[in-house]
Amino acid sequence: MRWVVLLLAFLLPALAQEAPPPDLSPEVFRIARELRCPVCQGESAAESNSGVAAEMRRIIAEMLQEGKTEEEIKAFFVERYGEWILYAPPRRGVTLWVWVLPVLGLLLLGLGLFAYFRPKPLPKELLEEAERRLKEPPR
Amino acid sequence: MTPALLGNLSVSLALAFSLLGLGLALLAYLQGDGRFLRGARALVLPAFLAALAAFLALEWALLAHDFSLAYVARNHSTKDPLWVTLVTPWAALEGSLLLWGLLQTLYTLLASRKPLDPWRASLVLAVLFGIQAFFFGVMATIASPFETLPDPPPDGVGPNPLLQNHWMMAVHPVLMYLGFVGLSVPYAYAVAAMVARRYQTWVEETRWWTLIAWGFLTAGKVAGMWWSYEVLGWGGYWAWDPVENASFIPWLLATAFLHTAFVQQTRGAFKTWNFAFVTLAFAATVLGTFLTRSGVIQSVHAFAEGPVGPAFLGFFLLATGLGLGLLSRVSREVRDTALFHPLSREGALLLGAFFFAGWALVVVLGTFYPLLVEAFTGAKVSVGAPFFNQVSAPLGAGILLLMGVGPLLPWRRARREVLRNLLVLLLALALGTLFGLLRGYALGASFALGLFLYNAAAIYLLAREGVLARVRAGLSPWGFLANRRRVGSLVVHFAVALMGLAIAFSQTYRLESEKTLYRGEAWEVGGVRMTFQGVRALDEGRRFAVEALLGTDRFGEVRPRLHFYPQMNSPLPAPEVIYTPGNDYYFLLMDFDREKGEWASIRLIVTPLVFWIWVAGALMALGTLYILWPAGRAEEARGVSPA
Repeated sequence: MRWVVLLLAFLLPALAQEAPPPDLSPEVFRIARELRCPVCQGESAAESNSGVAAEMRRIIAEMLQEGKTEEEIKAFFVERYGEWILYAPPRRGVTLWVWVLPVLGLLLLGLGLFAYFRPKPLPKELLEEAERRLKEPPR
Repeated sequence: MTPALLGNLSVSLALAFSLLGLGLALLAYLQGDGRFLRGARALVLPAFLAALAAFLALEWALLAHDFSLAYVARNHSTKDPLWVTLVTPWAALEGSLLLWGLLQTLYTLLASRKPLDPWRASLVLAVLFGIQAFFFGVMATIASPFETLPDPPPDGVGPNPLLQNHWMMAVHPVLMYLGFVGLSVPYAYAVAAMVARRYQTWVEETRWWTLIAWGFLTAGKVAGMWWSYEVLGWGGYWAWDPVENASFIPWLLATAFLHTAFVQQTRGAFKTWNFAFVTLAFAATVLGTFLTRSGVIQSVHAFAEGPVGPAFLGFFLLATGLGLGLLSRVSREVRDTALFHPLSREGALLLGAFFFAGWALVVVLGTFYPLLVEAFTGAKVSVGAPFFNQVSAPLGAGILLLMGVGPLLPWRRARREVLRNLLVLLLALALGTLFGLLRGYALGASFALGLFLYNAAAIYLLAREGVLARVRAGLSPWGFLANRRRVGSLVVHFAVALMGLAIAFSQTYRLESEKTLYRGEAWEVGGVRMTFQGVRALDEGRRFAVEALLGTDRFGEVRPRLHFYPQMNSPLPAPEVIYTPGNDYYFLLMDFDREKGEWASIRLIVTPLVFWIWVAGALMALGTLYILWPAGRAEEARGVSPA
């Protein structure tokens, strides 16, 4: 039991550990991966080990057991945190542009490419030069 | 002599030598006087030695536990193992800048030994000295690795535990910086080419630099992916977070440049594209540093807090402005006049470069969009993995399609005999996709399988063609291997196709479950049966570890761990990963009974084909090495059009 004592010294301000964490099905992780962990740097609620993310996973598991759909679960979190919680930006309002801009940018690049491949007429002076040479009597 | 004194002195000297070199190199160009150029050349080695002395001073301070230095106090502890201490110089911003500066002086030293006409030589030196001056200027003023503390603490906290968890962290940043710094040489040559108006030869002269930079960037990215996979305990290798994107953008642009530069070397076309791509690729390395080091990701308002962000942003604008400004000045002179059909090797290469550039654009947009929205409206929005995956899939598929067909197309225009090859490729694509669909795979995964077969068929056809042509000419078929560029690029292309397949499958199919097991309880999931036999604790000095003992039916005993570091308030999971060619089994200990060790929460992540991502990464590095191997250069130098 030495290690228990060591551990206590180490990290346990909160001695009373709650019940063990709930079992999580692959479905829970699939939904949690679409949601941001609100207190981490660039981690989803599926990956993060923070208390908030663990709590989110627990809520998702409970809601799935109640028979809620994925949309309802996401809506629940959006209600609490705003749309910022969703990793996939909604295709409306202020985040519509992030979907539109890449398409526009690629279209512009494509137009540039198209213009590049279009056969360009030869410069006028070259044509005049060629005509002059044609008219010259062969020496 | 103290480390702080030596360090500050060396940084100041490196800055002084770089500024002096910059001045002399500019004078040499403006006055057309070789004596100034000799002076500038003579300063290259002292600048490198000063940078080396500064770097060694930082190592000395760390090894001597000199906590009077702020950097040492923040990132080092007396409990660190020796290897961690040795790599601590690149554990935080100031030391990373020093490493970057050191590598930059080393590359300047190597690049300056190449014979070059005096005009361009002075311009190349001016640009490289200018870049050095920026880095040492930042270190001398706003981010000094040798800043001292008035009352030093007796001991520090050590580097971020995430960096101590895996030896890969010692390697990944160095590889990354070697790649970033490598791009500065082609950039300097490009600037010199545009100022001196000699547009053709620079791509051939910097070919090695471009390949070396690309090889290091690729190796660095794969090393980073592997570190993320092994250390961060989430079972993934790529999250599209801004730090990853910051180094992915230069990689994409460098890849585009590599391919258009190849066209200029062999055909003399695409000069404009090359000037643009090399500028953007180099500038993107600076932009990436700005993104990751200015705190702007956390919040737009963090940008103004540290002085490093504005400095890097300014430097980024300067580098971009210089390259693109010069390009607009000479654009009339570098316009392509050679005509070629879109359905030709040039056409495929250019289209491929556009895909890479377009992908870079999309990643830039997605990464900066939240910052822009926050700056203008104050609202916080997230643009994460789902967005990037959706926009990247079609771009990646387009690149894989071009990669197969491009090398089979002849220069200038497609001829009839190519059609047969195209039919073979399309057949492979259709068969692979159909096979996948019949096996019941998802459409995307099936298409990825088809693309892999398609590329494998293309590589087979190319190799066969090369060998047969030699046999017909009465030469030994092994001579094909002497065509290093061709063979090396085939290896790299095969590796890219393999990586595409592995990424498609590992992203599509991933089983992740978590269960709390009581002692003696068995759990069957993902084709594995495991029994929880208890937890064990270990005191490792700088950290405390708890491991769960799991008996499995297929892999014997597996022991995922939790590491407790005194400087972190939550434990870090250290997974145990069982690599197999089919699936990876990723065991994690998430939580355990702290009173009696009666139960433990185990997470198992089963992901297919991840193993092949690392194989593909190794193949990419090997293929690049094969091209770079010094033998047989003379053979490749033919076919380069004169300037």
